[in-house]
Amino acid sequence: MTLSEFREEVKRLKESGKYPELKSYLLPALWIAEKNFPAITHDVMRIVAEELSVPLVEVEEVARFYAMFHTEKKGKYVIRVCTNLSCMLRGGEEVLSELCRLLNIKPGEITTDGLFTVEEYECMGLCDGAPAITVNEDRYTNVKVEELPQILKKYGWKG
Amino acid sequence: MERLLLRNIDKENSHTIEVYLKNGGYQSFRKALKEMSPEDVVEEVKLSGLRGRGGAGFPTGMKWEFAAADLKEPKFFVCNADEGEPCTFKDRIIIEKDPHALIEGMLIGAYATGCRYGYIYLRGEYPIGRKILERAIAEAYEKGFLGENILGTDFSFDLYVHSGAGAYICGEETALIESLEGKRGEPRIKPPFPVNAGYLWKPTVVNNVETLANIPLIIERGGKWYSGIGSPDCPGPKLYPISGKVKRPGVYELPMGTPLSEIIYEHAGGIVQDRKLKAVFPGGASSSVLTAEEIDVPMDFPSLAKAGTMLGSGAIMVLDETDCIVKAALRLIEFFRHESCGKCTPCREGTDWLVRIMRRIEEGEGSEEDLDVILSVSETMENSFCGLGMAAHNPVASSVRKFREEFLTHIKLGRCPYRRG
Repeated sequence: MTLSEFREEVKRLKESGKYPELKSYLLPALWIAEKNFPAITHDVMRIVAEELSVPLVEVEEVARFYAMFHTEKKGKYVIRVCTNLSCMLRGGEEVLSELCRLLNIKPGEITTDGLFTVEEYECMGLCDGAPAITVNEDRYTNVKVEELPQILKKYGWKG
Repeated sequence: MERLLLRNIDKENSHTIEVYLKNGGYQSFRKALKEMSPEDVVEEVKLSGLRGRGGAGFPTGMKWEFAAADLKEPKFFVCNADEGEPCTFKDRIIIEKDPHALIEGMLIGAYATGCRYGYIYLRGEYPIGRKILERAIAEAYEKGFLGENILGTDFSFDLYVHSGAGAYICGEETALIESLEGKRGEPRIKPPFPVNAGYLWKPTVVNNVETLANIPLIIERGGKWYSGIGSPDCPGPKLYPISGKVKRPGVYELPMGTPLSEIIYEHAGGIVQDRKLKAVFPGGASSSVLTAEEIDVPMDFPSLAKAGTMLGSGAIMVLDETDCIVKAALRLIEFFRHESCGKCTPCREGTDWLVRIMRRIEEGEGSEEDLDVILSVSETMENSFCGLGMAAHNPVASSVRKFREEFLTHIKLGRCPYRRG
């Protein structure tokens, strides 16, 4: 998406009439950015600030507050690995370290081909299928370490 | 027990309005709108004794009565679907499998309290739920259950989904409202309560998903009938999500007050590989731990409070004899450190110090004095600004109290006795 296309999207969002005041469109606008850009950069934030008549600093503090918004460049696929209690008890930490080993990165980092970011993540409400991971909006439950290469290959991992 | 909250989930395409209507869906809303006054609806919900299922257990009828009495316009009805308490996944089942029950509950609530606009604040980690809810809302508009002059009356209600973006604190209702307003999710001081000054400082009802899913049942069969289910002082069916070291993790619908031991051993099939149960967090990550000797407790608000812990979201996390309590409590306090919004000192600093101390104990570098420091930090955190900080220390402090020997073993051995390799 180009920046001017993004501005048009935010304008359309405002026209939906979903909220009675402009600032409430902030999270939905940042969601559009999150889904269409590798990072929510200052250029992106500036457009949001202008369209919603909100100071830039208020856009930035929101973009940085929420765990799902990336203000630094992320991979095409964000792999979230839950290591909270139920997943930890059932091997979530092993899943995380194996993923990092396969992709040769540390949690929070991006692969050199720009394809994957791996994040150690908090509970995603998939505890009945612990350990659980998500790849962008796809979810995988009862994940076994030996299944990881197969999952990665679906997203273009050449391994 | 007859399945009430989960009555629809096994039906094919249970998330569609066709299936919901075929099974009597929206009849309760129709009844409320056509045969009952808003006051009648509030009275019926009060009679039912329903208490909020999000964690705090506030009487729903009373909340609605306060909101109805406030005459500022417009009023907002918000569904708290920011299910973020670790190991809680009960609302997800309703959102994905029976979204119309949630929408119908909101419609009845909005009619009873005079709310014109509604938002479902859905956690960002539920993108599948978002698609299902948006489709369900579109279906409800199409059938005339949402919009202007609903079913030919002068009641109008518009409903939208608002996606969170990964912040546990937004499950706290005032932080949720801040987030809805496009801000960082930091809690507001109470009072004023959201029923009087919520979204944009207008009267705002905030109810949990599971709470709202109870409403069509109460209107259909009556508050008196409902009050006869489960514990007399907090009646109704309850969804118990159970996970960790049980054979059949999942969401179980049982009468409020079902003993914890029955949920673990009968419904969830007992402990994996028939090991010994070691410890249970009975009400989410912010609840105090129970030992194997303490699990005969009824799972309801007052009984768990009496047992020194809490029902919270009702999320049960089970540890077996091979699990390390220090590591488990450390992981939970790491979660709270990550999720503390940083607004107040006891929570921001307390969670950070508890993580540091717990980590060094788990690494075998702790001292016995550390245990006293943990309890003292924990006491200070009781003075936090909101419920997050007030409860965040519970899993750690209760573990120190109840499993002191295991902490001492870590300290004496200079390592975690459960760590493999």
